[in-house]
Amino acid sequence: MLIQFFTPNPLFLNIYNVFLDWKQVVLGFTYILGTWSLIRYHTRKIQRKQENWQYSYVALTGLVMTVGAAAIWKTATGPYPWLFDYVQVPMQSTMFSLLAFFVASASYRAFRARTLHATLLLVAGCIVMLGRVPIGSYIAGDIFGVHISLVEISDWILNVPNLAAKRGIMIGVGLGMTATAIKIVLGIEQTYLGKTD
Amino acid sequence: MAFYDRMMSIDRRIIFLSIGLAVALPVIWPLGIPVQVSEESRSFYREIEKLKEGDVILLSIDYEGDVMAEVDPMSVAVMKHAFSKNLKVVALTTYAGGTGIAERILNEAARNYGKTYGEDYAFLGYNPDWSGTILRLGESFRATYPTDQHGRVTGEIPLMKRVETYRDISLIVSISGSGLSEYWAIWAGGRYGVKVISGNTAIQAILIYPYYQAHQILGFLGGLKGAAEYEVLIKQPALATKGMDAQSAAHGLMVVFIIVGNVGFFLARRAHRRARAQGENA
Repeated sequence: MLIQFFTPNPLFLNIYNVFLDWKQVVLGFTYILGTWSLIRYHTRKIQRKQENWQYSYVALTGLVMTVGAAAIWKTATGPYPWLFDYVQVPMQSTMFSLLAFFVASASYRAFRARTLHATLLLVAGCIVMLGRVPIGSYIAGDIFGVHISLVEISDWILNVPNLAAKRGIMIGVGLGMTATAIKIVLGIEQTYLGKTD
Repeated sequence: MAFYDRMMSIDRRIIFLSIGLAVALPVIWPLGIPVQVSEESRSFYREIEKLKEGDVILLSIDYEGDVMAEVDPMSVAVMKHAFSKNLKVVALTTYAGGTGIAERILNEAARNYGKTYGEDYAFLGYNPDWSGTILRLGESFRATYPTDQHGRVTGEIPLMKRVETYRDISLIVSISGSGLSEYWAIWAGGRYGVKVISGNTAIQAILIYPYYQAHQILGFLGGLKGAAEYEVLIKQPALATKGMDAQSAAHGLMVVFIIVGNVGFFLARRAHRRARAQGENA
């Protein structure tokens, strides 16, 4: 997989392609494993009458109905698209929408200017929050004779401090991954084999 | 309870109700706050605008129902823009739940613009391995997706006859609810030299800036605001533009709550300091 990045030799390219094909097949099989694991978990929960076991019936019924609908009527017509559009999507959207309420409540409680760092975070957070919506462009004023809006300050925060931090993290992670990969290839790192020292 | 204590401990049910109203009321009675277009969104628009009639774009719809409200308007607007310029669209998804979303968007746009499946657009469907898919497409579309979403042999679809690898793709548009746009930029853009633009949730958009500045991603739409800006650019205001009033109101209200909490915090601290000083003097 690594060598083909450095050579145009078709042999390595073919091996690379075969590996990629196999990777897809193996990942496809993980879905079978996942489904089997889900069924086993919920059937056991029902058998043992564990806490909230009644909900396992809902999970299993949902699984059987969705897979059954796709198998019988295919995915483009029949009840499968209906289940997706009117059951799965609203449920997922509802869960995600709840975030707005919890974020509002959590930010009200957590964003307190207790220390200098907390104040910086608080000020940056408020500027970006307002700068990323249309109302931000109307919050503007003259600073030392220069007309500046909240959007511009928000853009500066995202383009300079945010970018510098993100880039630093990316370089750090990249170097860490490379170092770990080299240690694994050279046999120095063996904890993945169960060795503890 | 002192007034400043009340300012610091507003019942969360009041916060929930206020946010609910701040989101709902502008949807019912729009404020019509004009949307100013950012440079990132303008670059995104320019990359599609530069393409010529008949050019093929690869649209990767990498999200599920959870982030639909934020990124769905981007996919819809991209399809409108692409079909209005008579571009060809090859779509796929690396999310299992993305198939239903992609089909709805593609079919709706095709209906509105009178486009034919197989000639003007194709939907390859879902592949379980996103990293392998992005890399393998660089070697062969037909090997990666032997059939399309509905089981038709990819090599027999007229549009796919002219698309073998990324060399035949003029632009990749990654609309994503996760970090996948970064991988499109690294693997498809970096290795195969194909141009990449992206549309992301507001949270993910923050991570796109390094790629945008390094020209690995040539333009991006950040969150619902990015989608609204793009709708303004293609002169077809729709759901995202409508959502901007609600988002402005909700963000504004959140900042008000934060200010109220902090004013209470400072008043409380001053009161405690005074009380302590009086105690020491006594």
